[in-house]
Amino acid sequence: MKKLLYILLVVVGFACESTINPTLENAEKILVIDAWVNQKMERQEIRITRSQSYFDNTQPTKVAGAIVTVEDLNNGAIYTFQEGTDAYFWEPNGTPFGETGHQYRLTVTTNGETFEAQSTLGRHVAIDTIMFHHEEKNLLVREAHYEAEFFATDPTGLGDAYWIKTWKNDQYLGKPGEINIAVDGGFTASQAVDGQVFIQPIRRDLINPLDKVPDKQNEFLPPYLPGDKVYVEIHTIDQQAFDFLWAVYYHTNHPGGLTELFTIPLANAPTNIKNTQGGTTKVAGFFNVAAVSTKAQQLTQEIANQAQQK
Amino acid sequence: MKKIIIGLSLYLLSMMSTLAQSQHTISGYLKDANNGEALIGATVYIQELANGTTTNAYGFYSITLPAGTYHLKFQYIGFDDLQREIKLEKDMKLNLELKPENTRLQEVVVTDKVPDENVRNTEMSVSKLDINTITSMPAFAGEADIIKSIQFLPGVSTVGEGGSGFNVRGGNVGQNLVLLDEAPVYQSSHLFGFFSVFNPDAVKDVKLYKGGIPAKYGGRLSSILDVRMKEGNNKKFNVSGGLGTVFSRLAVEGPLKKDKASFIVAGRRSYADLFAKAFTDILEDGAALYFYDLTAKANVKFSDKDRLYLSGYFGRDVFKFDSRQGFNWGNNTATLRWNHVYGNRLFSNISAYYSNYDYGFQFGESDIDKYDWKARVITYNFKPEFTLFINATNELTFGGEAILYRSEPGNAISVSNGVSTNIGLEKRNAFEGALHVGYDEKITDRLSMHCGLRFSYFNYFGGTVYHYDHTTPGTQKPLVGITSKGDQESIANYWNLEPRSSFRYQLTPTASIKGSYNRMVQYIHLISNTTASTPIDIWQPSTNNIEPQKADQVALGYFQNFRKNRYEFSAEVYYKWTQNQIDYIDGADLFINRFIESQILSGRGRAYGLELYGKKNRGRLTGWISYSLGKSELKVDGINFGNDVTNRQGQWYPTRFDQRHNLKIAAFYELTPRISLSANFSFVSGTPTTFPTDRLAIQGYAVPYVSDNKRNNVRIPNYHRLDVSVRFNNIWRGRRGRSGEDNLTIAIYNAYARQNPFSIYFSQEIDNRPTAGTPVNTRAQQLAIVGTLIPSISYNFKF
Repeated sequence: MKKLLYILLVVVGFACESTINPTLENAEKILVIDAWVNQKMERQEIRITRSQSYFDNTQPTKVAGAIVTVEDLNNGAIYTFQEGTDAYFWEPNGTPFGETGHQYRLTVTTNGETFEAQSTLGRHVAIDTIMFHHEEKNLLVREAHYEAEFFATDPTGLGDAYWIKTWKNDQYLGKPGEINIAVDGGFTASQAVDGQVFIQPIRRDLINPLDKVPDKQNEFLPPYLPGDKVYVEIHTIDQQAFDFLWAVYYHTNHPGGLTELFTIPLANAPTNIKNTQGGTTKVAGFFNVAAVSTKAQQLTQEIANQAQQK
Repeated sequence: MKKIIIGLSLYLLSMMSTLAQSQHTISGYLKDANNGEALIGATVYIQELANGTTTNAYGFYSITLPAGTYHLKFQYIGFDDLQREIKLEKDMKLNLELKPENTRLQEVVVTDKVPDENVRNTEMSVSKLDINTITSMPAFAGEADIIKSIQFLPGVSTVGEGGSGFNVRGGNVGQNLVLLDEAPVYQSSHLFGFFSVFNPDAVKDVKLYKGGIPAKYGGRLSSILDVRMKEGNNKKFNVSGGLGTVFSRLAVEGPLKKDKASFIVAGRRSYADLFAKAFTDILEDGAALYFYDLTAKANVKFSDKDRLYLSGYFGRDVFKFDSRQGFNWGNNTATLRWNHVYGNRLFSNISAYYSNYDYGFQFGESDIDKYDWKARVITYNFKPEFTLFINATNELTFGGEAILYRSEPGNAISVSNGVSTNIGLEKRNAFEGALHVGYDEKITDRLSMHCGLRFSYFNYFGGTVYHYDHTTPGTQKPLVGITSKGDQESIANYWNLEPRSSFRYQLTPTASIKGSYNRMVQYIHLISNTTASTPIDIWQPSTNNIEPQKADQVALGYFQNFRKNRYEFSAEVYYKWTQNQIDYIDGADLFINRFIESQILSGRGRAYGLELYGKKNRGRLTGWISYSLGKSELKVDGINFGNDVTNRQGQWYPTRFDQRHNLKIAAFYELTPRISLSANFSFVSGTPTTFPTDRLAIQGYAVPYVSDNKRNNVRIPNYHRLDVSVRFNNIWRGRRGRSGEDNLTIAIYNAYARQNPFSIYFSQEIDNRPTAGTPVNTRAQQLAIVGTLIPSISYNFKF
């Protein structure tokens, strides 16, 4: 799918784009809660900020003085997040956050108003292997190169959603177009794929970065060359979080050109955070708790040679 | 209702029988003397009555008059008049051939005798374009294009270059019924919206109904585009064609049996890929980008009373990025028609057609990992239609239509690591039936009227039934149950009465006012929530969860011709109310989703406007100016709901194709008999779009946020464009005794190279990879699909 978009970009050569500076209506500066907590053995952070004017390219400042807790609704455990410099945090101290299948409630109290959201910690899915393919030059990458592919199997039963995050040589593939999400190993919940190896576009397309060759319009650098390292994480998400990320993907990722024919109207990404007790402050953002599996693989010369011989 | 129909029938019968005793009928066909093509809409004028009639879509006319001597004048634009004195003592047949005016090779009609049909008939909100005008207009890449040409008529617009289809009076693309020889064409574009599927070599006549739509047409809310193909020269063989920048074309026509049977076959293929292959290797390993179409038609005249037509269209777009991956779409249509004249006054046409629109795509680099999706809509239709020419002032049209839809929205498999899953969707079946009657009467010399009624019925049957509950508007409807119906069992059925009427009141011999009202009902819906409609959008029948769309339209117009019909002028105002308009929840998943009905919202619409049209028919300079002032809005709960976050009641918002001002100018100038110039100018108000107000910092992304959940709150800059072309006639053919004709056309599209905005979009910078701890940059980009001038050269010939 992604390739298709890139090819659409290349085919029609007479489209053109220019950066403009339109005047926007006043920003509403609503409360934003960015709460994606996971089981990795590292500091877990929840960021609470205010939205900014769309063209304000500065780092938003933390809303200070909030009380942030996450409660395990199955066993009553409470995780209290402490206020740090730019986020509220919780340290695992030897025990990871949460348990599979448990439901969690985030509570944020600030300026006398309380905001809540719930999330369920999904089933852990292991990454079996990461392999590399040797590819000849093509329309997009005009030299021989390697593409990575990971293998993971969705457990039987509907409703498992995933966010696959990738790092190349320790750099996070964080472009909007690299948001790689799946439901039951397929593209969306409406398609009845389940209990299988993740479909190929998920396994492969979005873990291979396509970065433009400097000063070239439609040429891209090889995703991987011998010596490069790939690291993949699968975060479990729930269906609501999937819908949220889906909206983030479509509303932040605009490769331009003919792909604009296929864009959907701009609308606000759904949120699972609610202002309780009749508060009037508007809120956006998302709360999700995730199990995480990881795998790293380096493209050694030996693996490269093997891939080339296949 | 029943009583009215019975009463009307009795009245008509009695009128016919009493009149029949003293009256006789003159009837026949009018044809082009050069090639035997039927003349559609030619005038038959009876001088004694200062009244007349016109030929129908098959060139047939019939007039019943009291016995006597009459002078008849037969007229058609661009043809010499023909006069006949007849002694009407018994029923008689008069088949005539009109000769094209013996002037220069003419692209645009520059005739001295333009009939004033536009003022005199009851039709309003109707636009006609003849193929010569279409081929004379400067076109994108030099390719004459029917869909692009009709966008120069009042009330017709588009969302921009690259968008498929067209918008009529504030309606969406899926609300137009596009007919090619009566068969519906679901996708009228090649290469998204850049070219239309109709080969100008095979098209004879184009008529667009925007309002006052006759009862014989139905099934779409906004318009009917009736494209009629040539029948093929029944006198001699002709070869025509052209070499263009994008297509090369070839058409062959000729008699199968002189004056009795003829055929035409016309084909086109794009050849950008063939060029590309010569210069670059990027299209190796099976990559392809091309489109083609083949149009064919044959007709046989069995007797003076019977004629059979068989026509077909086969077109396809192929877009592959290697031998295994890519997508394609195509239309196939076939129409069989039988014209028969019962007696002299009852003309019948019985059509049966088949239309198959299929599209799909394939992904995956091997057989163990692939994704293969195919979808199609098959339509079978049987359509008998009768016209009874009662007398010189009364005409009755009646008939019916039976349509069977078989929609296969997704035959799809997903193969992952060797395991194949059928992710396809169930077939959907529906039947649409209609009975219609229309009556035309010239009540007095000044007043004539058309009234009609269409009864339509729709039945969605067989298969799985999904039941949904109500929920907060704008969010996915929760599924409450799934049941199943047998193959023939009805899931949902609807019926509607669609009244159609129009009148004309002649103010002076050259001026009239006209008014019309019509109700239209649409039972199948184009599902598309993207900026422009695309070839892989889905057609969805009405179901237990999706109600048919309805529209009521009133229009009032003033028509006047000046200086012996040298100039035409018309002004129309219209107001249209629509119900059950389709919109989508935010983040709607419309692609291979068996729960698609849970993603769809329903609302109300309104569109109104003013259309002005002025045309110069004669002289070295001809052309027209069209101006439309319009507004098109929707009100859908769950969209544009402001601060009403609990009930999410929608407020009115402009549609994506709401364009306030729409000015189009088409001009043709004959410099010398051999050289002609033409120019088009368009000015269209910017289309609405949604601008964000805020950005949210979430997981390193700058997520846009729209305050108050607004939709289409801003407009992109205006669109304007000039196209020019120069044509040199008779370069080789038609000179020094060589037969035939040819021309070389040089055209420039977007002559002053304006970067007309198609859209403005907001995104974070995508070229640089964001790094943790540093904020990402956001930006707004204005996109011009055609960012420069596009010159083209084409050579057309005919011999």
